[in-house]
Amino acid sequence: MTATPAVAAVSPWPFVRLKLRLIGNNLRGRPVRIVLFLTGVVVAALLAIGGYAIFAVPGVADSARAAGILLPLGGAALVLGWLFLPIVFFGVDESLDPARFALLPLPRRTLITGLFVASMAGLPAVSTLVATGGMVDTAARLGGIGALVAELAGILCGLILCVTLSRAVTSAFATGLRSRRSRELAVVLLAVLASMLGPIQLAAVAAAQRAEWDAIATVARVVGWTPLGAPFTLGLDVVADRAWAVPVKLLIVLVTIVLLLRWWAATVENAMLGGVAAAGGRAAGASGAPVDLLLVRWLPRTAFGALVSRELRYWSRETRRRAALITFTVAGLFLPIPLAMSGGNAGPTVLLIGAIGAVALANQFAYDGSAYAANVIAGVPGRLEVHSRATAHAIFVVPVMVVIAIVVGVVSGDAASIPARFGLLVATYGVGLGMVLPLSVRAAYALPASTSPFAISSGGGAAKGLLTAGVMLGTVIVALPLQILAWTLGGVWPWIGLPAGVAYGAAAYLIGSGIAGDLLDRRMPEVLAAVSGR
Amino acid sequence: MALRGLVKTFDAKLAVSGVSLDVPAGSFFGLLGPNGAGKTTTLSMAVGLLRPDAGQAFLLGYEVWADPAAAKARLGVLPDGARLFDRLTGPELLAYQGLLRGMDPATVDQRARELLDVLELGSGNRTLVVDYSAGMKKKIGLACALLHAPRLLVLDEPFEAVDPVSAALIRDILQRYVAGGGTVVFSSHVLEVVERLCDHVAIMSDGVLRMAGTLEQVRGESSLEDVFVRVVGGRVATGSELAWL
Repeated sequence: MTATPAVAAVSPWPFVRLKLRLIGNNLRGRPVRIVLFLTGVVVAALLAIGGYAIFAVPGVADSARAAGILLPLGGAALVLGWLFLPIVFFGVDESLDPARFALLPLPRRTLITGLFVASMAGLPAVSTLVATGGMVDTAARLGGIGALVAELAGILCGLILCVTLSRAVTSAFATGLRSRRSRELAVVLLAVLASMLGPIQLAAVAAAQRAEWDAIATVARVVGWTPLGAPFTLGLDVVADRAWAVPVKLLIVLVTIVLLLRWWAATVENAMLGGVAAAGGRAAGASGAPVDLLLVRWLPRTAFGALVSRELRYWSRETRRRAALITFTVAGLFLPIPLAMSGGNAGPTVLLIGAIGAVALANQFAYDGSAYAANVIAGVPGRLEVHSRATAHAIFVVPVMVVIAIVVGVVSGDAASIPARFGLLVATYGVGLGMVLPLSVRAAYALPASTSPFAISSGGGAAKGLLTAGVMLGTVIVALPLQILAWTLGGVWPWIGLPAGVAYGAAAYLIGSGIAGDLLDRRMPEVLAAVSGR
Repeated sequence: MALRGLVKTFDAKLAVSGVSLDVPAGSFFGLLGPNGAGKTTTLSMAVGLLRPDAGQAFLLGYEVWADPAAAKARLGVLPDGARLFDRLTGPELLAYQGLLRGMDPATVDQRARELLDVLELGSGNRTLVVDYSAGMKKKIGLACALLHAPRLLVLDEPFEAVDPVSAALIRDILQRYVAGGGTVVFSSHVLEVVERLCDHVAIMSDGVLRMAGTLEQVRGESSLEDVFVRVVGGRVATGSELAWL
């Protein structure tokens, strides 16, 4: 073949249609998923309307000063939300996995455009656009038609920035975790990104407590010149007769977007070539007895020992599980510490951390996929199965909770509270497990066979997000008696907090795991069918 | 193994409609059928992996869905696809299977080593099963099914994607197993293998059992392939379609 046939330019619309079709097919004939999807639509609509209302307030109140604070900071928060929420909570919709387009004669530009436009066609993007519409409202009320046009251009750029940033970072992070070697790098990256949240949160909380509006206004002005806040302040610059700032800020945003797109394109190319190549290498090795190779030394040489050992190996060898553990560690350290440093009460966030830990087991059987058939064929009793899985997870999570309790205690200068705080962590973890374990049997769903740790089935984002939120809320409610006890007892609490917390958590765990085990005995084939995903 | 009127529907599609089948003890039984005939679904229901909508399955006299523990203890299964805990190494996977079935650790060690050697997987191999080739995966799956010395083996497509050398090895092991009094049931769409190995055959298509009996009964005067194509009703090419190829 001498001349390659000219590839016709492909418009991005087929990608959008493909995505919508995937969502549609996923819902067809599955009432539960339709309900979940509709709930997602309602939540997204509420968030959109709420966001619009908040961002429109400065305009209605005719306060340029409030607008100057709210718009850049609120916009920056949105961008950061787009960056972190997919990593920590929701996962990324990988229904349009770049690897699936590897065999098609698509130029990279077309592919990136297509994937990008397709990610704009989703609830989060629409909801963000509507919410930032409130900014346009404000700009229009304050500065008339010129400000309206500038701000409209600004929020469109802002949305593009949000989507690009989110896709680029998750894509890079996923490729990073996929190849085993560079996963340390990815861990560091996440830690650094998360630690950026810390100082911001710290400053915000501290400033808000002292009501230093001048300081906040200064911060807002500075943020307005960073790519995070710049797109959302274009209209305000028109209002303040600084029209010269508009093209400069536009340039800042556009350059950022182009750089992000470049980065994304590079990682997508990696993903298409398949980052799984790094295998082999350790063929020969220690040739101990097979049982000794499997079992972690101090575990009993029984079925329980085998189950726990296999789970332990899976938590450290499988990318999705590893990502869950890393997320838990980072969230656990970086949510409460800034609060503790600013002298705030870290108690409520501690409640959440136990729940975040437990949520990792909410769909535990799906990690195994059809491999769970091995346990079904062997006829593992339900309670044994559930206990061994929870034990293996606790072996990873409990030490992290000890570290969290100590670090928070030391940072807040209240070392005496360490045992009680650890007790509270154990209690919420136990309560979380108690709720999550029956769910994992009753509401198991298949994960896609992707190696990306953030992949979820299309439309599954709503399910996972709602589940996480529900479990967290439930945990906080169930653990509330313990919090009330802690407040009312005051001085005595540091002494009895640890035993009380452990007892409370253990009781909740025993109830939940008992229900889950009995349920599993009756539903083993159904669980297998649910997680196999035909 | 005896199946009585097994029925399974997926959504609206009838995958298996009333399959009844008797596999005599000590026989080498081949379940034949084209892709999508319901072989995997039938075997899954027979071994307790998939709950049937109706019907019963008896393994060595125990009813699978009434007394799963007793039936499963005497059964070895090689499920279809890559249904293995593939983030373990081969030796780890065998040890896991053995302990899971409540075997004595010393016995597990001894048998696992022997199986790994015989199947040429290497008892010191630290490669994760996920990085194994397709043939090695089949072999480690077979080792898992054999480890607890079951009296009945149910294998789904044991020869699919296996190279000739490994296939010969697997054939040899299975033949010795049957000679020693074990029963093997396996599904396949490779007629040559079935014709060479099996003493009993059944043919399925569209979720219905079309024929069953000893190899001689099913084959009759013609070849197994002729019988198979006639029973399943294959399409005969006329030569006019796909002319552009």
